[in-house]
Amino acid sequence: MIGAIELGLLYAIVALGVYLTFRVLNFPDLTVDGSFTSGAAVAGVIIINGGPALLASAAGFGAGLVAGLITGLLHTKAKINGLLAGILTMIALYSINLRIMGKSNLPMLRAETLFTPLREHKLLGTWMAVVILTIGALLVKLVLDWFLYTDKGLAIQATGDNELMIRSFGVNTHNTTILTLALSNGLVALAGSLVAQYQGFADIGMGIGLILVGLASVILGQAVFFGARHILLATLAVIIGSILYRVVIYFALKVGFDPNDMKLISAVLVVIALLIPQLPLFQNLKREFKKIFGHNRVPLEPAPAAEASGAGAPTTEPRAAEASATEPPAVEEVK
Amino acid sequence: MLRITDISKTFFRHTANERVALNGVDLHLPEGDFTTVIGSNGAGKSTLLNVVAGYMRPDTGRVEIDGRLVNRLSDHQRAKYIGRVFQDPMAGTAPNLTIEQNLSIAHRRGQRRGLARGVSAPKRAFFQSQLETLELGLESRLKTKVGLLSGGQRQALSLLMATFTQPGILLLDEHTAALDPQRAALVTRLTREIVASHRLTTLMVTHNMEQALEVGNRLIMMHEGKIILDVAAHQKQSMTVADLLAEFERIKGASLEDRTLLS
Repeated sequence: MIGAIELGLLYAIVALGVYLTFRVLNFPDLTVDGSFTSGAAVAGVIIINGGPALLASAAGFGAGLVAGLITGLLHTKAKINGLLAGILTMIALYSINLRIMGKSNLPMLRAETLFTPLREHKLLGTWMAVVILTIGALLVKLVLDWFLYTDKGLAIQATGDNELMIRSFGVNTHNTTILTLALSNGLVALAGSLVAQYQGFADIGMGIGLILVGLASVILGQAVFFGARHILLATLAVIIGSILYRVVIYFALKVGFDPNDMKLISAVLVVIALLIPQLPLFQNLKREFKKIFGHNRVPLEPAPAAEASGAGAPTTEPRAAEASATEPPAVEEVK
Repeated sequence: MLRITDISKTFFRHTANERVALNGVDLHLPEGDFTTVIGSNGAGKSTLLNVVAGYMRPDTGRVEIDGRLVNRLSDHQRAKYIGRVFQDPMAGTAPNLTIEQNLSIAHRRGQRRGLARGVSAPKRAFFQSQLETLELGLESRLKTKVGLLSGGQRQALSLLMATFTQPGILLLDEHTAALDPQRAALVTRLTREIVASHRLTTLMVTHNMEQALEVGNRLIMMHEGKIILDVAAHQKQSMTVADLLAEFERIKGASLEDRTLLS
């Protein structure tokens, strides 16, 4: 169980990367299947050759940056459909990853990794490790939150929200798209390098179906948090979604499913997480949730009301407000 | 301020659907000129705006802003000089961002966007004072997502966002057409006030002839990709919608006669 939570926290970084493209940029990026393994491969090779684990992880991040950059260039400059651009890079990376690793599996069991200190102190598999990994995941989340609230980050958010609008304010949306894809894949590859160090090997197949894992975490997290769109909450939801996903997988294995069934379970999980928010019961729960936590509640009501009445914004023109204020008694007198 | 010389644009060239949208248009707007553009559907009004904004490339001709040839600049590069409000109230704002975030994006028009905080306290105060000029009560709803605003409120916000950095040129593409009459009147009034206070060189496309006569100091009428009528301020004041229609019929009739004569 604790192992599942540890994995969930590591994969939370993948989920944050997927959140960045899938939710913020509105771009279904399939590059992650390849870039995750690239991160693992690059880190693995450096570690096996005696390089420091920190450098190896940073290099993994760098490999992801390049992968995302290529998908971004294919999509923006070569005008290739986003899904296809991601698939092209992903497939190409398969060969490149094999070249980097030299073989399909790269064990680094006795090498010094980021997790060696934890393992030596017998902390892995304890709550202490969970706390340390939580701090790590939250750190990545906070940096991402901070970034999305900068001028650059707002431009990225607007690129995913309304491209025409942000261009009309002088932002080159090609650049924001490429930057976001690079950062997203950088995070995914960083997670790849961490997972490889955690489990003690890099494998050519470790990224297969990863996009689904990322999506499952993002969608599961948002379902739990009732579709949180506020970034601080949404990124937290993504981390929790990632942990939830691992726990579900853990229990699926417990009740006798085969590890080979996991891809099927992932797919079913995503479908369920997408269906649940459409149920009436969930809609009611969501309303209650908003009542308790929602900053949205206040503005939600006046806007449609003003729209429906068609009487103009009552608060806008003093004259209109006066008129509506004096009207009701007048009507009563006529009656 | 804005000079357009011999602009032509043809869609679907060399196909059965070939359509001439602009046919040798010349137009010069001096600084502070507020010109309204009217014309039937397909007259080339929106294409003209799109060409000026850099959203479409003309086949021939020159677009100059403040004496600078901008033909080779794409829409986001011209954004520094041009503010734009679209017909669709959804088009000018980012619905999932808050009012203050939208304003903050607009505030950095044409500037580098770095890692500074998007919405800072001094900026927030400035945004509040700007929103107060709209008199819509939006200044107390800075953290509301723009998607929750009504069409009229969004259009008023778009107008503010397009203008409060004083880009020099303002393009309005039937920006009141999708609003109910009351909201349209409000946005028209705001447009007038904002253009006057910043002395923006403005090109406003409208379908509403009354509005075209009422606002601005100059009116041009387009038909089949050409400017067929150019009314200066002193004439415009005394003109009525009936005059405009009569003028349109007269010019159109003349061109028809020419054609029948020539054929």
